[in-house]
Amino acid sequence: MGDFITVAAVGEIPAGGMKAVSAGGESVIVVEQDGEYFALQDRCSHEEFPLSEGELEDGEITCILHGARFDVRSGTPKSLPAILPVKKYDVRVEGDEIQVRV
Amino acid sequence: MPENETVTDIGLDEYKYHFITEDKPVFKAQPGLSEEIVRQISAHKDEPEWMLEFRLKALKTFYAKPMPDWGGDLATLEETLDEIYFYLKPQDHMERSWDDVPEEIKDTFERLGIPEAERKMLAGVGAQFESEMVYHSLKEQWEELGVIFESIEDGLRLYPELFKEYFSTIVPIGDNKFSALNSAVWSGGSFVYIPKGVTVDIPLQAYFRVNAERMGQFERTLIIVDEGSQAHYIEGCTAPVYTTESFHSGVIEIIVKKDERFRYTTIQNWSHNMYNLVTQRAMVHEGAKMEWLDGNLGSKLTMKYPSCYLVGEGAHGSILSIAYATDGQHQDTGGKVVHAAPHTTSQITSKSISRGSGRSSYRGLCKVYEGAVGSRSNVECDALLLNETSRTDTYPYIEIDENMSSIGHEATVSKIGEEQLFYLMSRGLSEEEAMAMVVRGFIEPIAKELPLEYAIELNRLIELEMEGSVG
Amino acid sequence: MEGTTTIDASAQRNAPAADANPADEWFERFANGLDEPDFLVARRRAAWARCAQLPMPTRKTEEWRYTDVSQFTPESFEPVSPKSEMVAFEDLPQAVRDVIEHSHERAGIFVQRNGAAIHMRLDADVEARGVVLAPISDVAKERPELLEKYLYGDDVTEMEEKFWTLHAAMLTGGYLLHVPENTRIEHPVHAFRYVDCPGSLVSTHTLIVAEPGSEITCIDEYISPDLEETTTSLAGVEIVGEAGADVHYVSLQRYGKGIQHFSIQHVTADRDTRINGFNVTLGGDLTRSDVSSRLTGPGAEGIMLALWFGDRDQHIDHHTLQEHAAPHAHSDLLYKGALTDSARSVFRGLIRVMPGAQLTDAYQTNRNLLLSEDASATALPNLEIEADDVRCSHGATIGQVEERQMFYLMSRGVTRQQAERLLVLGFFDEVLAKLTLEGVRTRVRAAIARKLGV
Repeated sequence: MGDFITVAAVGEIPAGGMKAVSAGGESVIVVEQDGEYFALQDRCSHEEFPLSEGELEDGEITCILHGARFDVRSGTPKSLPAILPVKKYDVRVEGDEIQVRV
Repeated sequence: MPENETVTDIGLDEYKYHFITEDKPVFKAQPGLSEEIVRQISAHKDEPEWMLEFRLKALKTFYAKPMPDWGGDLATLEETLDEIYFYLKPQDHMERSWDDVPEEIKDTFERLGIPEAERKMLAGVGAQFESEMVYHSLKEQWEELGVIFESIEDGLRLYPELFKEYFSTIVPIGDNKFSALNSAVWSGGSFVYIPKGVTVDIPLQAYFRVNAERMGQFERTLIIVDEGSQAHYIEGCTAPVYTTESFHSGVIEIIVKKDERFRYTTIQNWSHNMYNLVTQRAMVHEGAKMEWLDGNLGSKLTMKYPSCYLVGEGAHGSILSIAYATDGQHQDTGGKVVHAAPHTTSQITSKSISRGSGRSSYRGLCKVYEGAVGSRSNVECDALLLNETSRTDTYPYIEIDENMSSIGHEATVSKIGEEQLFYLMSRGLSEEEAMAMVVRGFIEPIAKELPLEYAIELNRLIELEMEGSVG
Repeated sequence: MEGTTTIDASAQRNAPAADANPADEWFERFANGLDEPDFLVARRRAAWARCAQLPMPTRKTEEWRYTDVSQFTPESFEPVSPKSEMVAFEDLPQAVRDVIEHSHERAGIFVQRNGAAIHMRLDADVEARGVVLAPISDVAKERPELLEKYLYGDDVTEMEEKFWTLHAAMLTGGYLLHVPENTRIEHPVHAFRYVDCPGSLVSTHTLIVAEPGSEITCIDEYISPDLEETTTSLAGVEIVGEAGADVHYVSLQRYGKGIQHFSIQHVTADRDTRINGFNVTLGGDLTRSDVSSRLTGPGAEGIMLALWFGDRDQHIDHHTLQEHAAPHAHSDLLYKGALTDSARSVFRGLIRVMPGAQLTDAYQTNRNLLLSEDASATALPNLEIEADDVRCSHGATIGQVEERQMFYLMSRGVTRQQAERLLVLGFFDEVLAKLTLEGVRTRVRAAIARKLGV
C-alpha cells in the first residue's frame, strides 16, 4: 500500500460535495459527508465510467451512464445494474490538507 | 372533439382486437410532457413527497439522456411524445367486485377473449384499463397466506416501507432513457409480495390494454418473492388499431430471494402503431430460479430484453423468447444474463419469425464477472425468414472475465423449408395452412411452456397472422 | 467532396489561427518533406483534412466500446522517414534474415524498416511473367494509373474512418503486388515490416491486385524488438480479387513489446474469386484489427481465419465483416484465441447479407480459451440478414482447457504450463490446417510455438 498523498485543501470540497482528483496515477473522487471525507475510485463498477460525472445526493452517488447508485461512505452498490462495490481508499486530514492513500 | 368518444364500427374480421370502446375518463392530463404534468400525476395520486421528488429527478434525467442510437428506428418518437397523453384515469377508485365493473369495460374483456370460466377461477385479476387498475381482486385463501397483489399505487399507499426498500433498486432512474421516462410518469401496474415458503399454484394475471388514442401507458410493476416461494405472473396485452402512433414504456422490477422459483410471462400483441419500449429485470439470489417467458407479436417497434442478474451462488436464469414481425414491424428483443456469483447457470432460447417487410432482431448480453467460477451459459437463437423482403439480425454481447466458466452462443438463420411445405401440401393442406403449421412447429418449444389458454391463443394468432401470407 | 469544403471554410472562419493547431503543424512538417506525385499529395492532404475533422473514437462509440483509444494523440509520435536506401541481404536486421534463411521458398521478398523500403527481390521468371512487386512510392512514379485505380478503392466504414484517414495521411511505405491475368504463382511473396524506432509512428500499406484467373500467396510479417517507448504501427491492406482469381493472404504480427498496432484490411472478391485471409496476432501491447471481406460477384468465396495468443496485459481486438452483396457466394470465418495473464480480447464479427443476395452460405465461428484468472474475452458475433434463401449461422464459445486432458499430459511428465500450451497449440491446429501451402503453415506454426514457448 502506498503513502498518503495530498489531493485537496480542507474547505476546497463543500459540505456534501465532491471533487475529482488524481492520486498516484489513479482517478479518485473525494466526498464530504457531515464533516468527514471519503474517497472512492472514480470508476463505476458496472461499465468503468467516471463517477465524477454523476450526481451526489443524500450520501449516494449516481453514475450518469446507467443510473447505478453507490453509498459514498462504503462504495456499496445501492441499485443494479452495478453489482460490485466501488473501490474505497483511506482518507485522512493533516493540518488543512486532505490526503488519500491509493 | 375528444378522440376517446369515438364508437367503432370497424369490422372485427380485419383485426381481431380492432375496436374502440366508449369510455369516460375521470381525469385526463394535457398531451405532451412537462414538469406540470408530472406534478399533476403525483398530486392526483396523493403521493408522499419523496415520490414527487423521485419523479421530478427522473424527468430531468429523461431530458438529459440522448435517444438510443441503436436498436429500432426512433426517429418519429420525439413527435409522438409531444402528442400523447401521459396520464389517464378512467375511474377514481378501485373496483372490489366484478359486478361493479362498468359494462363497457366488461365488453372490452369479452372481446379480448378472456374466458368466462377463467374469470371465475382466477384468484387475482389485475386488469389495467387505460392508466390504472380498474379491477383487482384477490382470493381469500391467498390473503390468508399473506400474498399481496395490489395496484402499484396501493402498494405504495399500504406498504410504504416495503415499497421504498425495493422500488427502483433493480431498474434505477437512469438505466436508460425510457426507464427515466417511466420513473417520471409511471401510473398503474402491480405490486406483488409473496411471503416466505408460499407456493401460489394459480398464475397471478394482469390484463391491460390501451384504449384512448395517443395515450401513453407507463405501467410500473414491483414484485418481491421471499425465500422458498414459488409463483407465476402473467401479463398479456393487446390494443386496438389507430392511425397515429402510440407508446408504451413499462418498467418491471423483480426480486427473487433465496431458493425461490418465479416465472414471468408476457404475451404482447399491441396494435401495429405502438412503440413498446420496456425494461424488465430480475435480481436472482442464492439457489433461486427466475424464468422469463416473452412473446412479442404486436407493436410497430418493440425493444425489450428481459434480464436476470444472478447474484447468489447457484442461481439460475432462463429466458425463452419468441418474436413475430410482419410488414412494418420491428421486434428488437432478446435477453440479458449477468453471472455475478459462483455456479450460476443460464439459458437463453430465442425464436423469431420475419414475414413480409418485418424485421426481427435478437439482442442479448451474457456477462460473467470474475469470481463467478463454474458458471455456465448457453444461448440459442433461431431465425425463420418467410419472404425475400424479410430481415433478421443477431447482436449478442458475450463478456467473460472468469476463466473457470463455460459459455456458448449459437444462432442459425433459415428459410421456411420448401420440402416441409411440399410434403404438407401433398397431404392436402393449402400453402397457407402448411406455412402456418411449419411456423407453429417452429415456436412449439416455447408454446408448450405456456399455460394452455395462452398456447391456444398464440396458435390462433399465428393462424390469423398467416392469413394472406401466400402470393 | 462538397460537404468537406464547406466544413473547412467555416472551420477557418471560426478559427483564424487554424495553422497554430499542433496536429496540423505536425502533419505539415511531415508532409512538406515528402517528394511524391501530385495525385498522391492530393490524396494525402484530403485524408488529413478528413482525419482532422473526425474526433478520436471514445468508448461511447459502439465499435470502440472495448478498446479505449480516446487518449491516443497521433502527433505525440514521430513520423518516420520514408527515404528508401536499398541494402544488401547481409545488412538486413538479424530478425528478418533469420526468418528468410530458415524457412520456405519464396517468389519474392520485400523488406521495410520503419518508414522505408530497404530490400526487395522478385524471382526473375516471376518478373518475366509480368508480376509487379514494388514500393508504393516507386509505383506512384512509374505506374500511377495502378494506384489511381486501386489505392484506397473501397468504402470505409464510419468506425474505420479515423484510423484509415490517419493511415492514408501518414503513409510512408508499403508495396504493390500486381498479378496479371491468368498468371499463377506457386511460391509466396513474403513481406517484412521491421520497426526499431521507439516512439515513432509507422504507416504502411499492402495493395494486392490479382487480375482475372490469377493465383498468388502473400505474407505480411511484422517484427520488432521490445521497444521502451510506445510506438504506433498503422497498416492498411487492400486485396482486390478479380473474376476467378485465387488469393491467399497471411498477416503475421509478432512485434515485441511497446507497439500499438492498428490494422485495417479490405478484401474484395469478384465473381468466382477465392480469397483466403489469415491473421495471426502474437505481439505488441495493443492490436486493433478491422477486416472486411466484400463478396461482390456470384460464386465468390471469402475464407477468414485468425489466431491469437495474448499474455501480459496484451489487448487484442478483432472486428470483421462478411458482406454478401451478390447471390451464390460463400463465406466462412473461424477465429480462435487463447489468453493468459491479464490479457484481454474482443471479437466482433458481422455477417451482412444484402437484399437480393439469395443462396448465400455464410458461417462464423469464434472460440476462446481463458487460461488464467485475470484474462477476459468478449465475443459479439452479429448477423444482419436481408435475403431469405440463405444458410447462415454463427457460434461463439468461451471456456478453458479441459482438466482431463491436462492431467493426461501432466502424467506424461510435462509441467502444467507446458501441458496447457500444448493444448493451446492443439486448439489452434484446426485453423492452421486450413493453410494450404505447407511452407507457410510450418512458418506460422513455428512462430506461434515460439510465442507459446513449446
